[in-house]
Amino acid sequence: MTGFALVNMLGGALILTSLLVVLSRTPRRAAYLYAVQSLVLISLFVALGAATGSTELYTWAVTGFITKVLVVPAVILYACKKMGDAGADLTPRLTPVKAIAIIAAEVFVCFVVVQGIELPTAAEVKPALAISLAHFFIGLTCIVTQRNIVKQIFGYCLMENGSHVTLALLAPQAPELVEVGIATDAFFAVIIMAVVAMRIYRYAHTLDAEELMELKG
Amino acid sequence: MDFASMVIVLMALPLASALLMAVLPSKSVPRCVYEAVHTVALAGVFLLSIYLVVQVMATGRAVDALGLWFHLDALGGVFVALIGVIGLLTGVYSIAYIRHDVETGAMNASQVKQYYVFFSLFVFTMLVVCMSNNIIMMWVGIEATTLSTVFLVGAYNRKLSLEAAWKYVIVCTAGVAFGMYGTVLVYANAADVMADAHQAAFWTSLLPYADRFDVMLMQVAFVFAAIGFGTKAGLFPMHTWLPDAHSEAPSPVSGLLSGVLLKCAMLIVIRFYILAIQAVGPAFPQTLMMIIGIVSICMAALAVFSQDDLKRKLAYHSCENVGIVALCLGFGGPLGVAAALLHCVMHGFTKALLFCVSGNVLMKYGTRDLNKVTGILRVAPATGVIMAIGFFALAGFPPFAMFISEIMAFVSGVVTGNIVIVVIFAIALTIVVAACAHVVQHAVMGQAPEGMEKRDVGPLALIPEIVMVVIILWFGVAMPQPVLNGIENATGIVLQEDTDVLHEAPLFKDLFAGTDQAD
Repeated sequence: MTGFALVNMLGGALILTSLLVVLSRTPRRAAYLYAVQSLVLISLFVALGAATGSTELYTWAVTGFITKVLVVPAVILYACKKMGDAGADLTPRLTPVKAIAIIAAEVFVCFVVVQGIELPTAAEVKPALAISLAHFFIGLTCIVTQRNIVKQIFGYCLMENGSHVTLALLAPQAPELVEVGIATDAFFAVIIMAVVAMRIYRYAHTLDAEELMELKG
Repeated sequence: MDFASMVIVLMALPLASALLMAVLPSKSVPRCVYEAVHTVALAGVFLLSIYLVVQVMATGRAVDALGLWFHLDALGGVFVALIGVIGLLTGVYSIAYIRHDVETGAMNASQVKQYYVFFSLFVFTMLVVCMSNNIIMMWVGIEATTLSTVFLVGAYNRKLSLEAAWKYVIVCTAGVAFGMYGTVLVYANAADVMADAHQAAFWTSLLPYADRFDVMLMQVAFVFAAIGFGTKAGLFPMHTWLPDAHSEAPSPVSGLLSGVLLKCAMLIVIRFYILAIQAVGPAFPQTLMMIIGIVSICMAALAVFSQDDLKRKLAYHSCENVGIVALCLGFGGPLGVAAALLHCVMHGFTKALLFCVSGNVLMKYGTRDLNKVTGILRVAPATGVIMAIGFFALAGFPPFAMFISEIMAFVSGVVTGNIVIVVIFAIALTIVVAACAHVVQHAVMGQAPEGMEKRDVGPLALIPEIVMVVIILWFGVAMPQPVLNGIENATGIVLQEDTDVLHEAPLFKDLFAGTDQAD
């Protein structure tokens, strides 16, 4: 098996894990599954680093491990603990079957779109590229379909993972600073979203997106 | 001190002020200390930004700082000047507004501290956006503006303001993630074409190579960038956060969000628009901007008309005006681009003024509901006069500034042959004029509520507003030469053409005739 085949396989694993994050019932479980998903992402960076000989990707793997596998899930778990697992019983707006159908459709469309790209770097990793694009839209689906605002945060994390993989696939030689910029910003975004969610819980006593719909028109 | 160092100091000043205020204890330090640090930092930003922008405009040379990481050119300069002026004016207005909030018990000491810390941080992040030359940094900057303003939008810790803050953070981070994806695609494309991957992140370095980019990839990238950064600018279809955030934020923050931040996001859209034109030709980016622009205008015009909440009305009006900027970019050509840039400036001042006036109304009436706000002229005459001027200016009446940019928008539409779009645009603007006239007739004139004491807000609130009135009148009657020069140079950057070539374009020469002597 070539290095690129491994990259494409890990891409497939990314879709599976993100599906699990979207379908998981409680934010706490989603946090653990997100850590697993990030671990797959880190393996993808390492596999791609080995296949392309890009040393920068190993650095990304290390920073990604700290921010995505450890810190982000820890922040959410901390927030869940502070709020006493509130909102764990909020069911998503879509049934699991419908959610899976939408995600499958997204993956299909992304595979079609990626066929039109003729960048030399992309030739070997087109399946993974399609998956990374689809991953981005799975994140968006997660935000739109979840009622629990803490779970909406994971939607953003998945979107961010998607663009991270695209960057790694298309520009493996990108300077670490570029990657660090993205990772740091995303990391602050998660912390701030968690703080806002905790404030909402403290002052409005709810985590239900449907109840946060008073401003209209 | 050389110009490059000044650019760094300009950004460092509000950051240092935010950090300084953050470490001060909120309970034991009196409020006036925060007010002093806040004002000194904003006054410094104002002076430095104007000095630097005037230098850039006068010499025609851009300033690079920290290698290629920061780049202040005429295009960015237009927006940096906007941050400097409106930042200071809304900053001074904040002092009066926050004092009133403290008196009424709407804010406690720690909320006041939080307000001033994040206000400075907000100004810092906008400066980073406008002067960044690294495309990834542009995204980081836009994202940082969201993160620094979330707690300003949710400053009151009430359910509705926290709801607005949540929608703001989730819609904008998700939307701007589209922008990041577009940025990543552009970067990857550039890294593939250019010999040195480290240079591929710098906007000025990758621009000369743009005509060698993959066409399909660049089209996808531009769509992502337009939707992503357009979210932050308040463009359709991702504008939903805007009315909530702008109406729930404290009024001076609404003014800064609407007057400046939306324009900063448009600057990034323009930066990608320039790249896209070089890579795939003008047709695709212009068509996309035209569609997004006209849909935003029509959708927002109806919402402006139907709103009863003063600040939501103004917020939707911002969607409409950002739509006008997008539409002008869609028309393209020297006239269209110049109209877009001028409209950013003109609308920036006018909208900052009106959001501050909405603050006066809130201080006086305690509500934003236009069914309850009547007869302002009788109980607060100065506020009433300023509000009437503001709404006439917002409706695009002469002799105020927005008349110039809107008439240019129409002319550019006609010149480029988009008659149908121009007609739709005119109908939408008529609806907006009706809405503005109704506010003046009902809220400004009208009968004052019984028993309300006749007393205007204090001078600290009125002075920044009077300054803004003077600016919109001045720009409408006799546009200052340096502003015209700046807009012309910036138009040259967007079209990647020399200003001498621009003078050959029909009508452009007549409009910018005065700049010949300046050259």
